[in-house]
Order: sequence, then C-alpha cells, then structure tokens
Amino acid sequence: MTAAKIEVLLQTLISGLLLGGLYSLIGLGMTIIMGVMKIINLAHGELMMVGMYVAYVLFSWAHVDPYLSILVAAPLLFVLGVALQKYLINPVLKVDAILPENQVILTVGIGMVLANLATIVFKSDYRTTPVEYATKAWYLSDYWRTSPIELSLSFPWTVSFLFAVAITAGLWFFLARTDTGKSIRATAQDKDAALLMGVNVERMRVVTFGLGSALVGAAGCLFLPIYYLYPDVGGQFTLTGFVITILGGLGSTFGAIIGGLILGVFESLTATYIGMGWAPVGRFVIFVAVLIFVPGGVASLLRRRRLGK
Amino acid sequence: MKKTVVALSVLALALALPLAAAAADFKLVIPLPLTGKQAKFGEIMKKSYEMAAEEINAAGGIKGSKLALGFEDSTGKPETARAIVEKLIEGKQPVIVGEYTSACAKAVAAVAEERKTPYLIVASADDAITQQNYQYVFRQNPVNAHYADALVDFLAEVAKPKSMAILYESTAFGTSGADAMESDAKKHGISVILKEKYEAGAPDFKPILSKVKSLSPDVVYMVSYVMDASLFMKQIKELRLDAKLFAGGAAGFAIPEFIDNAKEAAEYVVSATLWTPQLKYKGAKEYAEKYKAKHGDYPSYHGASAYAAIYVLKAAMTAARDWTADGIRDGMRAVNVETAFGPVKFENKEGYQGQNFVETLAIQVQKGQFETIWPKAQASKPYVFPMPSWRERR
Repeated sequence: MTAAKIEVLLQTLISGLLLGGLYSLIGLGMTIIMGVMKIINLAHGELMMVGMYVAYVLFSWAHVDPYLSILVAAPLLFVLGVALQKYLINPVLKVDAILPENQVILTVGIGMVLANLATIVFKSDYRTTPVEYATKAWYLSDYWRTSPIELSLSFPWTVSFLFAVAITAGLWFFLARTDTGKSIRATAQDKDAALLMGVNVERMRVVTFGLGSALVGAAGCLFLPIYYLYPDVGGQFTLTGFVITILGGLGSTFGAIIGGLILGVFESLTATYIGMGWAPVGRFVIFVAVLIFVPGGVASLLRRRRLGK
Repeated sequence: MKKTVVALSVLALALALPLAAAAADFKLVIPLPLTGKQAKFGEIMKKSYEMAAEEINAAGGIKGSKLALGFEDSTGKPETARAIVEKLIEGKQPVIVGEYTSACAKAVAAVAEERKTPYLIVASADDAITQQNYQYVFRQNPVNAHYADALVDFLAEVAKPKSMAILYESTAFGTSGADAMESDAKKHGISVILKEKYEAGAPDFKPILSKVKSLSPDVVYMVSYVMDASLFMKQIKELRLDAKLFAGGAAGFAIPEFIDNAKEAAEYVVSATLWTPQLKYKGAKEYAEKYKAKHGDYPSYHGASAYAAIYVLKAAMTAARDWTADGIRDGMRAVNVETAFGPVKFENKEGYQGQNFVETLAIQVQKGQFETIWPKAQASKPYVFPMPSWRERR
C-alpha cells in the first residue's frame, strides 16, 4: 500500500466512525421505543426535524450555539414525546382494529403532520446555522511536519461525535443504575412480569417515548452544524434509524450503538471503494441480509457469547 | 309552471353568455413542487409566475382576458405530476406550463403528447425530453448538454486543464449533466480520471472526496441540487483538497443559498448558469430588482425562466388563432420574443424538437457575490484563475 492509499483508507475510517457515532444516537432513540412499545416509531426522523428547528430558531433569534440548544431541545422533545404517547398512541393501543399494527401507521401520520406543520410555519426553505467553526479542522501535518500523509479531523464533526458519546454514556447510566431506568428495562423484557412486580407499565411507556424523542432531538442539534435543515429532512433519518434498529437487534441499546457504527463505517467504505451511488443499495442489502441470516441482529450475536444484556 | 322554468333558464343563459365571454379569465393551473426536496425551486418559480401574471393583467391581460393562475403541488414525484396533468387536461385546460425536475417533466411531456396538449417546459434540463419527436412539447430553458457551454469554453480557452474529476448526483439531471461534461472534456483533450455518482442528500461526502484528493485532478466538476453543493465545498475545505478549479453545473451552485451556506468555502467556485440579474437582456434587471424588493432575495435562473414563461405563453396565445390545444400549439411554434430570460423561439435542430437555444454563462463567487465571468461580452468582473490553495487563503 502506498502512502496515498493509506491516507484514503484512514480518512475514510475517520469519517465513517464520526458519522456512525451520530447514527448510533438516532438509532438509540428508536431502539428504546421499539424495546418497550414493540412498535417501530416511523415519526422518529420528523421528531429529529423538530429538534433541529428548535436549535435553528434559537440560533437565528438569540444566536445560541446549536450545541447549547440541546439543553432546550431535548426537554422540549421529551414533553412532545410524552404528549404524543399519552394522548395519541396509548388510546390507539387500546382500540381493536383490523390491522394489528395500527399504532405504527399512526406514527406515520404523526410524522406527516409534523413535516407539513413545519412547511407551513418555516416554509420549505433550506436552513442552516452558519457557525464560525463550520469548516474548522485539525490537520495532521500541522502537528507532525514531516508526516507522509495528510489527515484532517473536522472540528464540528468531532464535537458532535463527542456529544453523542456523552449522551449515550448518560443513557447507559440511566438505564443501568436508576429505578426508572430499571423499570424501563423490565417493561422491555417482559411487560406482564413487570406489571406483576408493580412497575407502572403505562407510565414507563410514556417516559420511554419521551426519552426516545429527547434523544433524537439531541441528535438533531448535533446534526445541525454539519448538515442543513428543511421540513422533509426527517424521512431519511427515520430510514437510517430503522436500518440501525434492525441491524442492532430490535430493542437492544448496545446493539444500536454497534449497529450505528457499523452502518457509518460501511457507508464510508462503500463510498470510497465501490462508489457512493451504491450506498443506498448497500444499506438495504445489509438490512435484508440481517433479517434473513441474523434475525436478532448484533444483539443476538453478542448474547451468544454472553456479552450482551 | 314548466314553461316559466324554461323561460327563466333561457333568460338566465342569455344573460350569462355575453357576460362570461367578456370577463372570462383564462385559468392556468401550474404543477410544480411546493413540498419535498425541490420545494425551494418550486417556491421561487411560483413567486415569479405570479409576478409575471400580475404585470400582464395590469397591462390588460391577453387579448382582453385576465390570467388566473392556480398551483398544484406535485411534491417532485413524477407519478403525482402525471396525475395532476391528467386531471388538468380532463378539465379542458388547453396548455400545460411548469414542473421542475427532469423526471417530472419527462412524465408530464409524455402525457401532454399523448393527449395532444401543448406543454411548455420551464426549467427541466434532461436532454432526452425534447428528443422524442414530440409535437406538443416546447422547452424554453437550454438542454443539459448545453448548460455548461460557457463553462467549457472557459475551460478550453483559459483554464486548459489536463485532468478532471466529475461528481454527480444520481438523478436524471445529474447523470445527463455529467455525461455532457464528459464528452465535452474529451473533445478538448481533458482526461476524465474519475466520474462518480453520489447519493443526494447524504451528510458526509468526505470518503468520496478523499478519493478525489488522492487522484489530484486539475478540475473538480460537480453536478448537484441545492444543499449538496455547499456541503461539498465545506468538506473540500475541511480536507484541504486543492485543485486549480472547482466548478459546478448550475442548479445548487448557482443560487444565493450556496454562498450563504458555504461562506468562505464558496469563494472562487465557478459555475455554469443560465441567467444572472447582471445580464443585459431587456427586463432582466427590472425583474430581479422587483423580485428582491418583494421577497428579499435575488431570484435564480429558475425564477427568471418561470417569469419569462408567462410572457412566452402570452406571445403564443396572442399568435394563436383560437385557444384550443392545437391553436396554442401552433401559437407556440410562432413564438419569437425577447424576454427577461433572453430571446425565446422554439426550433427543431441538433436532434431536438421544440427547443429554445440560449447562450449560457459562467459565474464565479468573488468576495461573496456571484459575478459573471464568461463569455467576455457579458462579464461583470475579470475571472480569478487558478484558485489559491486552501493553505494560502486566510
């Protein structure tokens, strides 16, 4: 391998990991909702879009840095998620319908309503938050003058990645150590047993939906400095989240983290070595392959080795 | 009793008919994307259609009839666009104007031809649309193969690069733009060392860009819609990917958002475009200023083309013997007008039918502004070439 080839490979891996970290955060929110509710939340990307608009509004009105607006967007999305679950999804859960998955269809509807509301309020313009550090980066050659290869590490991408890691660690702590977290996990593992043990399942559902929304809202704030925003931005992230959730093993948080990283690195490697036009094909080939060959996703592989939870 | 009813209805008809004839508005419903990814362009065009219609109505309309515009959102999906147009033709609208993406325009053109209703294409560039021997399809904007004419001219006469990398989005517009550039490059002895499509709307282009960097081409040519363009330039800056010239094929590189979003990373980027407010066509500047006063921003070429399209329609309807589909079709064929978008007349040549041929331009971002740099006769500023490397800047 020549120096140039190594440079391309390393740069690709760096990009893939940074992207994967952000994907994980999107996947996490969807996964914990999946785990507790047993439904795929197809309004996930639209909730992320709402988070992005919150950050955008704060930036354009008060020049609040998008990273700081996590503190506003996440609680706001939590409240929105709680309200959606309590007043829309829970009532539908109780209704007998021809389709057993009518709450999934409901989430599609919620997503559409959110996207169209955003179109009415913010128009269909593309929005960005032009922060000063948007194109700032660290270069290997600045630190090591005689380096045979040049690598760059984007400042906003790195910061977003670190935030994603911190939020994930926080979630980990919450689920593993707090009472509410344990109740959520209990509900996810066996709803009826949890109910018998005195866990307020209904409340856990509401909290989980809020938590999932808050996570994806935070992901939205992290994406804003490096991406852009328009009312229909959510759809592609719903899809990404969906693929990660399947890849990670439905409902497994650890699986979602690994799934996100795998997807990020896989997409980057495809872009470099096969062609970026193939990235969407690759993504769904993974999706189908996982469903057929590893139906439990990454989580089932880990469980086999007694690593997962 | 029966008699009175008949008499009354006859009376009502007799009263209504002349009234209707005198004040009948000409209803024109325009399909265009108002939601979805291309909504931004749809909005620019909608505002411009409305401006032109207002002006025409204020000046007495077309042969005394006022234009009443309506809009239908096709969301950028060909099947939706097709359904809208089917409905309009069922509703006896004798002419179709509009749409934006090439995929939609293709679908609409096929319906229009089948139903023998003239269709005026405003901003869809895929070459194939006017190469089908259609008798009812007219296109006012240049085809993709000619989009980059001025840019290619600039490359051949000034830049004289040896190698080129082409990145294009995987759509009808991206593919035909990239193919056109590839054949132009070959004609001028530029070797295309990489030609790759990318996934539109992706957040991260750094993998594909680091591949480009390892090949160090003289020119990087990109064909993208809106936001991909600024993400490309931002990430090119991040990677310190240097080339003598970064060039874009219109669309995303030629709208104000590009500079707003990419900021200093947009500096010196050259793009093909079809129109700028600095052009010396009659009415171009007035239109741009009026648009800016009303909506706060200068319009892109999409807007100018939409604005001009209503005037082209007026010319066609004025020339038409009657306002049936065939009458307006013949009117379209007779069109020969000067518009804010440039001269418009529909010709059959180079294998195209009903195609308008306009001179295209090359623009460059200089100090955060679009400046026309090529052809020299239209230039508003001298060009900067080669581009300084990222390290030299700042």
